Amino acid sequence: MPPKTTQASSVTPVNAFQSLYKAYSDNTSDRLKFIDAFLFFLMLSGIVQFAYCILVTNFPYNAFLAGFSSTVGQFVLAASLRSQVNPENKDEFKEVSPERAFADFALGSIVLHFFVYNFLG
Amino acid sequence: MFSLRGLLALSLVLISLANAKSSTGNSVLVVVEPTRQGDFSIFFDGLKGQGYDLTFRAPKDEVPPIIEYDEASFAHVVVLASETKNFAKDITPQSLITLLDLKTNIIVALSTKQTPLTSLAPEFSLILPPPGTPLISYFPKRDEPASVIPISPSKHDATNILSKNLAPIWFSGIPQARGNNPLLIPILHAPSQSFASEVDGGSADALVDSAEKGGEGLWAGSQLGVVTGFQTLGGSRITWLGGADVLSDEFARKEVSKGVASGNTQFARDVAAWTFQESLVLRIDKTEHHRLNETEPQELYTTNDQLVYSIYISKYNAKKSTWEPYSGLKDLQLEFTMLDPHVRTSLPSVAGTPGKYSTSFRAPDRHGVFKFVVDYKRKGWTHLHSSTTVPVVPPRHDEYPRFLSAAWPYYAGAISTSVAFFLFSAIWLAGEVREGTKRSAKSSKVE
Repeated sequence: MPPKTTQASSVTPVNAFQSLYKAYSDNTSDRLKFIDAFLFFLMLSGIVQFAYCILVTNFPYNAFLAGFSSTVGQFVLAASLRSQVNPENKDEFKEVSPERAFADFALGSIVLHFFVYNFLG
Repeated sequence: MFSLRGLLALSLVLISLANAKSSTGNSVLVVVEPTRQGDFSIFFDGLKGQGYDLTFRAPKDEVPPIIEYDEASFAHVVVLASETKNFAKDITPQSLITLLDLKTNIIVALSTKQTPLTSLAPEFSLILPPPGTPLISYFPKRDEPASVIPISPSKHDATNILSKNLAPIWFSGIPQARGNNPLLIPILHAPSQSFASEVDGGSADALVDSAEKGGEGLWAGSQLGVVTGFQTLGGSRITWLGGADVLSDEFARKEVSKGVASGNTQFARDVAAWTFQESLVLRIDKTEHHRLNETEPQELYTTNDQLVYSIYISKYNAKKSTWEPYSGLKDLQLEFTMLDPHVRTSLPSVAGTPGKYSTSFRAPDRHGVFKFVVDYKRKGWTHLHSSTTVPVVPPRHDEYPRFLSAAWPYYAGAISTSVAFFLFSAIWLAGEVREGTKRSAKSSKVE
């Protein structure tokens, strides 16, 4: 969620990024940072696979679809988990407890990986 | 002295070959004028000694018929009535062709006279000189008339049909020019100094004249044949003799030079052995095909399969009247064809297994109905043909390679996502437990 700090308006871009990072590390809980790290890893993996598909080969295409969609799907599930366990969104997900959100995430991921491995070979 | 020795040799031959028989049958019809029957007694006795049953028939006799109820009555026919102009109704060029279709083998003797058989020769791509022009040669110098010629087999003659080191053969008759029919097998060529001409008009001027006005050029030289064989596509054999005398007793007994017997007896034996399917007779016993490292044939083969094809070939042994496995073919080929040969490979004999020829090759990357084809046609030998049809199909959906090296980044991506998911879940749950204990510890403190 966008950090709502950055009070200093007349700062250089470097300072803006620094203050953005500072605000993020200060105001974000460890759990959300952990999810963000997971999201970052999935993004990198997806970019690498997409680059390989464009630059080297998309053969076999089913393997590309499986590998790439597993990262995308996992990213979507992780992102939804993040929005559901974020305390700031408590009003929107009143009846969804964090445990329930994680259970949904885990079930969705297992189903996703089931399809991915069937499609991979 | 000579005749005694000849008789001895003849009896030896008779004893040693007494059981030799043809691979296709032993009944022989000899069409010969009764008055000339005695002239070929050595040839006939030789055939009888081989185990053949000879039936004689005058050219104008009606019985025995050569074809009865559309079946050939005899396995072999010898037509030595070379000067007969009128044959019985059932001996016509057409009936002889029919005989060949019925797998009967024929020896035909020609002569300088125009007979029905003269018109048959062109059907076999043999071009005969005009009537009344026998083969003449003035070399080597000899007492015999110029139309009686000793011919030594050269290396251009059918060395696989004739015996090795054959003595010169007395010949008297007409030569044949050969067309380019691949089924023709030249057995004996004319000597290079010989030519076809009227016996008396053999002067140089007459020859030049005939060369200029004939339009067909001069009938001369070693390109002409005097004895020519022909093997039909059906496998039957016919031999054209330029003259019947080459089989006669007179020439068989005639010395070539002092103390040297002529080769006629052995030559007649060799020609009869080839024509009557005793020598150079092959057959295919069976063929096999399977995948490499398997033994049973498949109903379908897949593209790029490694295939093994084997063929078993036997040769007829006339001495024992049996078929024996034969590994002597050096130039056997296998073709794997769909319209065109997609694979053509040599089919070498397998050491240790007599008569077996085998090869292994990769099926082409092409699906369709293919044939294993062995087509062996060599001059003098029985034609071998074998064709086995097999379908070649593309791989089934589950026969393609499943995991490809090109896709490793995708596999790694999927696996790493799963591993990361499990690690994430484990750490998440562990953190929850830790928080829970912290919280419970805190609450206990508070309490």
